[in-house]
Amino acid sequence: MRARARTGLLLAIAALFVVSVPWYRKTGAPVEIVWGLPDWVVVALACYVAVAVLNGLAWLLSEMPNEEPRAVREDEAP
Amino acid sequence: MSFGTMGIIALVVYMGVLATIAEIARRARSDGSPSDHFLAGRDLGVVVLFLTLYATAYSGNSLLGYPGRAYNSGFSFIMATGFMMSIIVVFHLLAPKLRAVAVRESFVTPGDWVRYRFPPERGNPVVARALVIAIGTLMTLALVNFLLAQLKAMGLVTAQVTGGAIPYEAGVIGLAAVILGYETVGGMRAVAWTDAAQGILMLVGLAMLLGWILSEAGGLAAMTAAVEKVRPEAVAVPDAATCANWFSSIALLGLASVLYPQAIQRVYAAESARSLQRAFSGMAFMPLVTTLVVTLIGIAGIARIDPGSGIASDAVMPVLLSQWAEFGGWSAIAAVVVFIGALAAIMSTADSCLLSLGALVAQDLLGLPRDQPKTTKVGKFIAALLLLSMIPIALQRDITLWRLIEIKMELLIQCVPAFLLALHWRRLDATATLAGVVAGTAFSLGLTYAEIPRIGGVHVGVFGLGLNGLVAVAGSFFRRAA
Repeated sequence: MRARARTGLLLAIAALFVVSVPWYRKTGAPVEIVWGLPDWVVVALACYVAVAVLNGLAWLLSEMPNEEPRAVREDEAP
Repeated sequence: MSFGTMGIIALVVYMGVLATIAEIARRARSDGSPSDHFLAGRDLGVVVLFLTLYATAYSGNSLLGYPGRAYNSGFSFIMATGFMMSIIVVFHLLAPKLRAVAVRESFVTPGDWVRYRFPPERGNPVVARALVIAIGTLMTLALVNFLLAQLKAMGLVTAQVTGGAIPYEAGVIGLAAVILGYETVGGMRAVAWTDAAQGILMLVGLAMLLGWILSEAGGLAAMTAAVEKVRPEAVAVPDAATCANWFSSIALLGLASVLYPQAIQRVYAAESARSLQRAFSGMAFMPLVTTLVVTLIGIAGIARIDPGSGIASDAVMPVLLSQWAEFGGWSAIAAVVVFIGALAAIMSTADSCLLSLGALVAQDLLGLPRDQPKTTKVGKFIAALLLLSMIPIALQRDITLWRLIEIKMELLIQCVPAFLLALHWRRLDATATLAGVVAGTAFSLGLTYAEIPRIGGVHVGVFGLGLNGLVAVAGSFFRRAA
């Protein structure tokens, strides 16, 4: 369940990266200023804030085993 | 008191703090083995781990190179926040699986993974050794490049903070000696603990600088309006080539940065899996409070620094700080704090590079055993030798920090199949991986030397990785069938 949720979060992050780049906007199109920044910059930043939240969550959901060092055999080269 | 005098006093106090931390770290040593020296006995807790990851990731490149790049590019350099975030995303493909094996098998260097994954007894021993050397060489070259960038940035900041009393050349040489001193004495513990102090200083400094710039400009909207008036294209929707470069930078920086040897060694050095998870969870937010801040500072520079003044792009941040200091009083004190914060960021990255370089060359290139104190001594000696050999190059000032970053990443990204693909695809073959690394590196370096750094906005290193991966995958299938 945790692994599936984490995979879903990573897929959503990938989609946000695609949306963050203004490839779908026409070069030189009129720019509106929103919250003091150009609108396409606000879209990119909103995507990156969402990436940070989802990624922070994905790390907490990741399953990382706590391994112990393996005992080295006497005949084994270091 | 003049700005230069305040800078010298702050520098002396800062050096005193570093020396004290190094001495405490020296006393905390246990057995002098490579694991103790290079990985702090694998005992880094979540707070120190987070701060050392942070201070190592945000370097002289971030604090001087990124504002310079933002000053030249305008708002499109907001891409930097994206590519710094992609690094922590790509770590999902590396850290969980690699850490488990690393702890079980007591890895110290990145080459330990390559040796474990492609053991000589299960294939051609010459190919297995050649692959370790090829990966080790690429990582060494990238680290040397990274260290070079830090040395240049150290010289630049020292000259600025002392008002020229300590010239660029003396800053490079003097601070290189300080780093070498505390890294040799205290190893990873000294590096991680000084990184923690330096990380805090960097955060405080950046917050103060952004606060000043925005209040001076009259807020974000006024700053954007001023930038648009001076350079309208800095605010306009970027063209197709810039968008391609944006995607390419996310891929290049994201994939290559997780393979920094110092980053891999921090994955090895975490005291537990939980500490590492929580440190990475916190790191996911750091581009918003670091990269975004330095990008906005560089963009604000467009309206504050006359393009005709001919200043080098790497000097944008120091020039802005000098403007701030001219107000005197608290402004000058705050500017000194930011300068020292920037120096802290640079030194914390340089010390991590130096520590990894010693381990990498001693173990992966020279093949010394990973469990003997002699390897630690040889590693320290090699690190010192490499640092000394780089100082004359750092004294040359004709290449920008941003270009150094790109060259370094184009080399590192060629190691991706040997780590990310090898971790997740059991069929990957050593000979095919080696052939891929050679093909991808030759392609990237060939075009770089032909002065073709990008094709349609996409870095040649990304195309090189495509070729590298294709050769590795197709070669693995072919060899299995044969």
